[in-house]
Amino acid sequence: MNIVFILLPFALLLGLGFLGIFIWMVGAGQFDDLETPAYRLLFEETSEETKKKGNASDDNGT
Amino acid sequence: MAQIRLKMERVIDLLASSTPSDVCFHCGTIAPSKKWTLSESEQSAPLIFCCQGCLTVFQILSARGLEAYYEIKKKAGSFRPATPVGGPSHGDEYLDDPELRRHYATEVSPGLQQMQFYLEGIHCAACVWLIEKVPDFVPGVISVRLEVGRSVVSVQARKDLAWSSVARQFREFGYSPHPVREGEGEQFEAKENRSLLIKVGVAGACTGNIMLMAVSLYGGATGVLAEWFRWISFLLFLPVLFWSALPFYKSAYSNLRMKSVSVDVPIVLGIVLGFVASVVNLVQGSAHIYFDSLSMLVFLLLASRYILKRTGQNALRSSSLAHFMGPSVARRYAGAEPNETQEVSVEVLRPGDVVEVRVGETIPVDGVVVQGESRLNCALLTGESEPQKVVAGDVVFAGTLNEQTPLRIRVSASGVATRVGQILKTIQQGSVKKAPIVQLTDRVARYFVSAVLGGGLLSFFIFAGVMQLGFEEALNRTLALVIVSCPCALALATPLALTRAMGQAARRGILIKSAEVIERIVSVKNVFVDKTGTLTEGRFEVLSWEQKDQPEDRFEIEQAVLELEKRSTHSIAKAVVRYLISKKSGKETSTFAGIVDFQERLGKGVFGRIRGHGYELRRVDALSMNSQVGVYRDSRLCAIIELGDQVREDSAVSIQQLGRRGLPMAILSGDSPAVVKRVAGAVGIGNQNAWGGLGPEQKQERVVAHPFSLMVGDGANDAQALNAAFVGVAVHGGMEISLRVADVYLARPGLGPLVELFDLSTSTLGVIRRNLVFSLLYNLLGISFALIGKVNPLFAALLMPLSALTVYVSTWVGSRGLRERIT
Repeated sequence: MNIVFILLPFALLLGLGFLGIFIWMVGAGQFDDLETPAYRLLFEETSEETKKKGNASDDNGT
Repeated sequence: MAQIRLKMERVIDLLASSTPSDVCFHCGTIAPSKKWTLSESEQSAPLIFCCQGCLTVFQILSARGLEAYYEIKKKAGSFRPATPVGGPSHGDEYLDDPELRRHYATEVSPGLQQMQFYLEGIHCAACVWLIEKVPDFVPGVISVRLEVGRSVVSVQARKDLAWSSVARQFREFGYSPHPVREGEGEQFEAKENRSLLIKVGVAGACTGNIMLMAVSLYGGATGVLAEWFRWISFLLFLPVLFWSALPFYKSAYSNLRMKSVSVDVPIVLGIVLGFVASVVNLVQGSAHIYFDSLSMLVFLLLASRYILKRTGQNALRSSSLAHFMGPSVARRYAGAEPNETQEVSVEVLRPGDVVEVRVGETIPVDGVVVQGESRLNCALLTGESEPQKVVAGDVVFAGTLNEQTPLRIRVSASGVATRVGQILKTIQQGSVKKAPIVQLTDRVARYFVSAVLGGGLLSFFIFAGVMQLGFEEALNRTLALVIVSCPCALALATPLALTRAMGQAARRGILIKSAEVIERIVSVKNVFVDKTGTLTEGRFEVLSWEQKDQPEDRFEIEQAVLELEKRSTHSIAKAVVRYLISKKSGKETSTFAGIVDFQERLGKGVFGRIRGHGYELRRVDALSMNSQVGVYRDSRLCAIIELGDQVREDSAVSIQQLGRRGLPMAILSGDSPAVVKRVAGAVGIGNQNAWGGLGPEQKQERVVAHPFSLMVGDGANDAQALNAAFVGVAVHGGMEISLRVADVYLARPGLGPLVELFDLSTSTLGVIRRNLVFSLLYNLLGISFALIGKVNPLFAALLMPLSALTVYVSTWVGSRGLRERIT
């Protein structure tokens, strides 16, 4: 059972970390607009854009 | 590239074939004439547009390979009704004015500036896509982010970029940009929303971890482990108690100070007493700790309140209203050249400046006409449907529309000093206070608190005195009683039901600003309705064409009238053109070569020679209420056209349905009393309740004189009355403007949605009542268990989510039944 005494603080720290990330995201304005991102999700990239992005990553790689 | 083009053309063909033949391909509104068409390919039918604006936008989009706009729009659907693009009203050069830039643009980082625009015409997912494509077309623009809820776009651009080029791009895509500044109100609101969300998050995280401990404790953890678990849950409860629950303390405190009681008072009582009792027990090593139930209570209530707050259209408050009512740009005569004008922001205009107002433009200032004579549409200020004649020396007001000829106006007041500015100021300051409403839950809470406190004291004496349990045990049982009667379900009952109702209303095109409105509507005692645009169509239409003479030449006469009236900008002329075009759709038009000697005589009519005949159209002094225009051919009266503002088809039925609810109805209008009485007769409202000739201020007085009244009107010209009413319902004009002054906006025309709103509110209140009954039953159950001493932390931890679940299910079932009933 002694393992609980190690796992417990660890679990709490993990939770605390996620809470910190959440607070940071709220501060950064991630949740200010809850409507638009839902629509943004719907847009497919046109073939040209995908190509452009593909090229960009190639450039980074070489 | 050629292949892509080909594919795009196929997309357009496909979409065109599935679009009904009488609606505009771009905006989807009914296109009455076939005047604006475009053939994309040889085989397919031509695309139809409702106006030059929509056609131009289509051409620009297809030239840039942005046809996917139509595909996205089709797939994703619209969340607001679309409007035709129309013609441009003015250029955007005024945005490059350094003074304006100083007011509106902010520097985000060195060399990078940001400006926000309100965009008119945002209505669908494809709009988001299109707007955010702007950086591809305007070099220098770094990023464009649109917030559809407020229709506000934030543009970041390099410092040397001319803002007019960005604005021009928005305009080319069919949206009218207005620069906006974030007011203090908006910033405060955004900060408050964030802070509340963090509180919800903290409460949620702590509750989750406390539950882990609690489950182990209920599961039988003993010894050192149990001791640890209790202390950790105590530590985890502290942020909930001292940070997340703050809103409850604030609201309870302000309630007690006002000597009233809301549902927050028993909540705070439960939280604080529960905490004290748990800490005492914790120190004494007893198992009676309630941290899990209490933190869950805080989390559930906070979350439901946050969701309810975000459901309402709270972003649309009365601040920064001024941007939307009048134009932000004027054409000022520059000193050097006598006829040269310069576009400036109205903010820099000073009394004494002379501005030009072209036909179809809104007058930006209060002033005196120095040159020109014209007709003004004063509907914004007076609600009168017929234009007023003005000549040099007449006083004109900002917000009125110039309909006939260009005017030069000497500025006497601009901005907030204008009459419309003053009206807006009274609205913004909220000088008209609304009757407060005590929510049903809070009324119940009042009895609840006294019952709990009284019951607690009584049971303590029974435990200690009658049952001889000893002081400690009696106190423990009493505290358990208070904690278990903490009104979780009671506090959830209202927010849940209201959130559901607002969502349902929004799906029907009824946009409600804040949840409170739903409870207000049920206690409405009178209904006031505006005439123009609410009961009627809101524009001149030809009611009849009566041929008096020469019936054999009727077709030729109609053609001649069409040609003449096409050249006039008067609203009557426009109505006649609409009528004749719709009548002739499909037939051959414009067979006449030319008009000789065309004259427009201001306030009298038009004259012209066509094919050797002299035609004249002029007003006839009518015996009836409607306007009549006589058609003279070679000075002989040959036809009479009767025009009027037609009553909507569904008005009478809706008025009848509202009347069945026992609500007295009345019409408030700026139009002449005779016209108002005629409309009242047509929709079934008694003559004594038809009030005409009222200005905006008088309408407001009438509304204020009758407490608990609901006002239905135009978002613009009835702004003051809507704002003063117990419930203000806007039916016309832009949604954003309307919701800044009114409580409700009906996106569908007519009064039908208002009837639905009443039904929805009544049934929602029914659901709330049922929820209250359920939650009180749970509390009764908890209290009776506490009285026999059977309440322990596990019992409380089970009772609370169970009661919340019941209320949730009750709300969901209730609103589902509702949906079936209405649709």
